[in-house]
Amino acid sequence: MSFFKLPAGLRDILPQESARLDRMEAILREKFIKAGYRTVRTAGLEYYDTLACIESRVPQTKMFKMTDKDGNLIVLRPDMTLACARIAATKLRDEKIKLCYFSNIYDFSAGGNSDREVMQAGVESFGEQGAESDAKTVAFAAECLRASGIENFIIDIGHVGFYKGILEGSGLSEEAAEEIRGYINAKDAVNTEIALKKYGASKKAQSALLALPSLFGGVQILETAKSFTDNGMALSALEHLQEVYAYLRELGVEQYISFDLGTIKSLSYYSGMVFTGLAEGVGAPILSGGRYDGLCAQFGKDRTAVGFAIGLMRALRAQGTEVDESC
Amino acid sequence: MLNVALAKGRLADSCADIFIQCGIRAEILKEETRKLVLETPDKKFKFFFVKPSDVPTYVEYGIADIGIVGKDTLLEAGADLYEMLDLKFEACKLCIAGFPEKREVLLAPHLRVATKYVNTAKKLFFSRGEDVEIIKLNGSIELAPLTGLADVIFDIVQSGGTLRANGLVVLEEVFDISARLVANKVSLKTKAAEILPLIADMRACIDGMQA
Repeated sequence: MSFFKLPAGLRDILPQESARLDRMEAILREKFIKAGYRTVRTAGLEYYDTLACIESRVPQTKMFKMTDKDGNLIVLRPDMTLACARIAATKLRDEKIKLCYFSNIYDFSAGGNSDREVMQAGVESFGEQGAESDAKTVAFAAECLRASGIENFIIDIGHVGFYKGILEGSGLSEEAAEEIRGYINAKDAVNTEIALKKYGASKKAQSALLALPSLFGGVQILETAKSFTDNGMALSALEHLQEVYAYLRELGVEQYISFDLGTIKSLSYYSGMVFTGLAEGVGAPILSGGRYDGLCAQFGKDRTAVGFAIGLMRALRAQGTEVDESC
Repeated sequence: MLNVALAKGRLADSCADIFIQCGIRAEILKEETRKLVLETPDKKFKFFFVKPSDVPTYVEYGIADIGIVGKDTLLEAGADLYEMLDLKFEACKLCIAGFPEKREVLLAPHLRVATKYVNTAKKLFFSRGEDVEIIKLNGSIELAPLTGLADVIFDIVQSGGTLRANGLVVLEEVFDISARLVANKVSLKTKAAEILPLIADMRACIDGMQA
């Protein structure tokens, strides 16, 4: 008997599980369309240069690379938001447009807790801005998770402007800031402190950066955070999040919301509010999204944008087994 | 219920003491048993006994909500998790060690380094722009320079007794190591009401011991 194996980090989905995925996709598709999103299917292969030459480039190690017939380097699509932003900037005339997709993305470097082929359902809305638009997107994310049969989840909100604002005038070099970002992202107060001593940031920045790993929890942490900075960008980020929260209360989803100012992703295209969906029993986020206003401009046309993607396999795990498995 | 991953052995004993001081019914951790899963009588905590290097894995996957493990293991695993608290015990240092008269070998164009901590060593020497040959060993690292397998070793040093007995010295102290409390990135938020008070209690307990 011979075995035909799959490469590491990949899997086949057999009928029973595939049927559950189909049901979840159908629910989400209906939600997306009703909310005015229109589906796109973006190309599975793209030029390496497209993704490596933009300012918020995809790390080289994350992409599956191949050579095209003419010698150009091409990659398996590593990210749907980049693909949608490229389309919105280069191929669609509408000032305002809402796109959605059900597609796979590929991550060469994944392993451990994540897969190398990730099925995503996501929405991207271009041409809207402000706290109300941000809040509507978060509320829609919550509505989608609930409609998919997931009840025990949290949407954890942050803002890249807070960290950026603190770095302004801190005197830290880009390299030092990147090292410290890593520690803060892991809530590692010990190494944050050691690094700050080593690189010698300004007093005000030091106390704010040291506080960052513990600046998470309910809406009150936004008020707490204000005492750590007098930087304009950081303060307006906090005020923006308070405004978003007020809208979320109006929309009646505040019970799902928490805040974390210390989640700062590396090399990301996000420009404002960011959020992740966390479900009990699934060790990694089931949803992630945020505002990325500067990204379309990198593809040639300036457009504001906000969106999110749901990781379908993780969402399926969050549903648990109580779902009807009969078909 | 909180699921806790603990490394079997000395570390688990020290953890048990702190847990008990924090009012957790962790006496069960002190019992002689071959069971791999233990539950407190009030069913608030479930402990998994795993190999130290597997603690980050159980926590990253969210099977355990929190775990206690040495910083050396964390550095080596590079897992995506939150490092919430320095427990200060099991303190030691990750060092480069070798023969005292061979201090200049550190500058050799092709240094051979024997270690258990392959990933950490790679990262360390890469960040310094040094090309080195890393030789993976699983134990008795001190033997490598004695037998000529490597020029230096990169390993944890607690008392330095084994080094001295074999004529080796610490050439450079690189990282301070101690036990850390780590948390799964999702659990910290979804089980915040259970995890955060526990961390606050443990922090107070450790600060109390330091004072």
